[in-house]
Amino acid sequence: MPKRARGALSLLLGLTLVVSACGTTSENAGGGPAEPKPCGGAGGKYTIGVSQANVAEPYRERMDADIRKAAAGVPQFTVNFADAQQDNSKQVEQVENFLTQQIDLLIISPNEATPLTSVVKKAYEQGVPVLVLDRKVNGDSFTSFIGADNFDIGRRAGEFVAESLLPGGGKVAELKGLAGSSPAKERSDGFKLGIGGKNIEIVASADGDWLRDKGRQQADALLKGTPGIQVVYAHNDPMGEGAYLAAQDAGLTGIKVVGIDGLPIEAGGIKAVEAGRLAATFVYPTGGKEAVEAARKILVDCQQVPKVQGLPIERVTKENAAEVYARLNAGG
Amino acid sequence: MIAWLFRFQSLFGLVLVFLAAVIFSPVRNGELLFLDSGNLFNVVRAMSEIGILAVGMTFVILVGGIDLSVGSVLGLASVGAAVLLVRQDFGVLPAVLVVLAAGLVFGLLQGVVTAKLGIQAFIVTLAGMQIARALARIWSGGQGVEIAYGDAPGRAPLAFSLLGERTFNGLVPIPALIFAVVAGLAAILLRVTAFSRHIYAIGGNEKAARLSGVPVNRVKILVFGLCGLLAALAGIVHAGQLNYGGPNDGSMAELDAIAAVVIGGASLSGGRGTVVGTVAGALLVGVLRNILTLNNVDSNIQLLIIGLVIVAAAGLQRLRPAAVG
Repeated sequence: MPKRARGALSLLLGLTLVVSACGTTSENAGGGPAEPKPCGGAGGKYTIGVSQANVAEPYRERMDADIRKAAAGVPQFTVNFADAQQDNSKQVEQVENFLTQQIDLLIISPNEATPLTSVVKKAYEQGVPVLVLDRKVNGDSFTSFIGADNFDIGRRAGEFVAESLLPGGGKVAELKGLAGSSPAKERSDGFKLGIGGKNIEIVASADGDWLRDKGRQQADALLKGTPGIQVVYAHNDPMGEGAYLAAQDAGLTGIKVVGIDGLPIEAGGIKAVEAGRLAATFVYPTGGKEAVEAARKILVDCQQVPKVQGLPIERVTKENAAEVYARLNAGG
Repeated sequence: MIAWLFRFQSLFGLVLVFLAAVIFSPVRNGELLFLDSGNLFNVVRAMSEIGILAVGMTFVILVGGIDLSVGSVLGLASVGAAVLLVRQDFGVLPAVLVVLAAGLVFGLLQGVVTAKLGIQAFIVTLAGMQIARALARIWSGGQGVEIAYGDAPGRAPLAFSLLGERTFNGLVPIPALIFAVVAGLAAILLRVTAFSRHIYAIGGNEKAARLSGVPVNRVKILVFGLCGLLAALAGIVHAGQLNYGGPNDGSMAELDAIAAVVIGGASLSGGRGTVVGTVAGALLVGVLRNILTLNNVDSNIQLLIIGLVIVAAAGLQRLRPAAVG
């Protein structure tokens, strides 16, 4: 046996050596911001790599769909998508793969900021324009950040609760997104600012991990355990829908639910508002269309784009839900 | 020869997938993108964490157990390393030793509960998975811990950032080297020591091993300890590569590790499997994923293909002649 094992080991080692011997250098230029590649203009062909944190989330699926749809309108663009399935390591690997493929531009929606910072920086320093969507990376080694502000959207939700739902003060339960994720923290902190000084109290809170079923389960416990809750603030619409179901179950029909994201899809928050399950939601734009527009400016028009492009937050209530839905799905 | 083929099926599988990757590699400027050295080392780097987990998992599976906690322990260790370095101002060596010790103790405890109380490993480590995840969230305060480097308080020593670096002319990633060393040591441990004979004996027939004087409980406890230790090591590598301790990181990694072991030809009922097979299994998945991604194959199709590879590997083992050890 040992003989065979040794044979296998040496085979493996041999393979490793072969692997390390072949291939030529292409990437240890290192250091310093590289010069951006010369702009090819309207006559060129461009490959764009899209690195998505997790397509299993409807919001991110819609982001990819928005990018796909917008890119179909630019004949020079070919778009390749990668899905990191919520895994930081995998996303780093996929960006490295894109660099190996020598893409012309990177669009990335990072799973988390810090772990993705260095590979984004690497791409940027190799002269690949980088558009960061939705969640930021650290530092300023990217071409443009496009996204809305999670803190701000939380604040707007808080203000809505204070002004429209509980003008005389009252009790709120909070369903939080995945613990440890930055949007969960920012949507929570923003909300607290929004309801500040209005005699509104967050009497109970729980982690719903962004999920509808977990949201329902947690809301069920919160509503049973803490009497007197008037409003449930959910960090996203699916958890809000779960809270609505829990309230129905408990026979608490007076409870109002506020969500976030406002996805313009059939199963999304805007439709839920229209149907009266949510009292309101706030559109957190995916930035997909805007990213392709920025890519077109950079690659085809050879122009600069602003370093930060804040996207507008929009409040959706029963009055404007149908209109917003139609507008966000119109044209191209 | 036939026996040899089955024993190292994953090694041949790896060679086949590697050749297929060369054939199907996209070409850019007359060069095969797949064979670009940067690309190849990325494959190994990306698989090194899973590979380290899988090596530990091999030992547990060899004694007929399973360890579902390794992904959570990876997350816990990454948080632990980050918190100790950044918030507690530990040096690199003390921080690494504390985290490794924590992983070892966690594994040993799971081993004790499994062996002494006779509760199935699946159940013990399922609980361990939840507990380690909870500890990671509690320890980090529910937030990812960023690792910034420098001399000032609240910053990690620069030495820790070496885990994210490359050596040898800027090519070989350090995590890949760590993986290679771990695999090498494990392969030796599983070949030449009495410990290894005991492991295979327990996996083959626990009752018979006990009757013939093998210290079954002690070996089992040690094996779970080793698996916990390696999971902690993977977590340290993870934190160093990403400059980040993530309380949610490593979820589902246990399944990737089990997949690597199964593709490597091990049997989940114990007694059969090799470290070489596991390493080849891990690399096979890495190479496959890489070449599919380089060719822009849809990520859902990739999942499908890797699933089929797992089934195929298990199916091949069913065909294996019974007499083959």
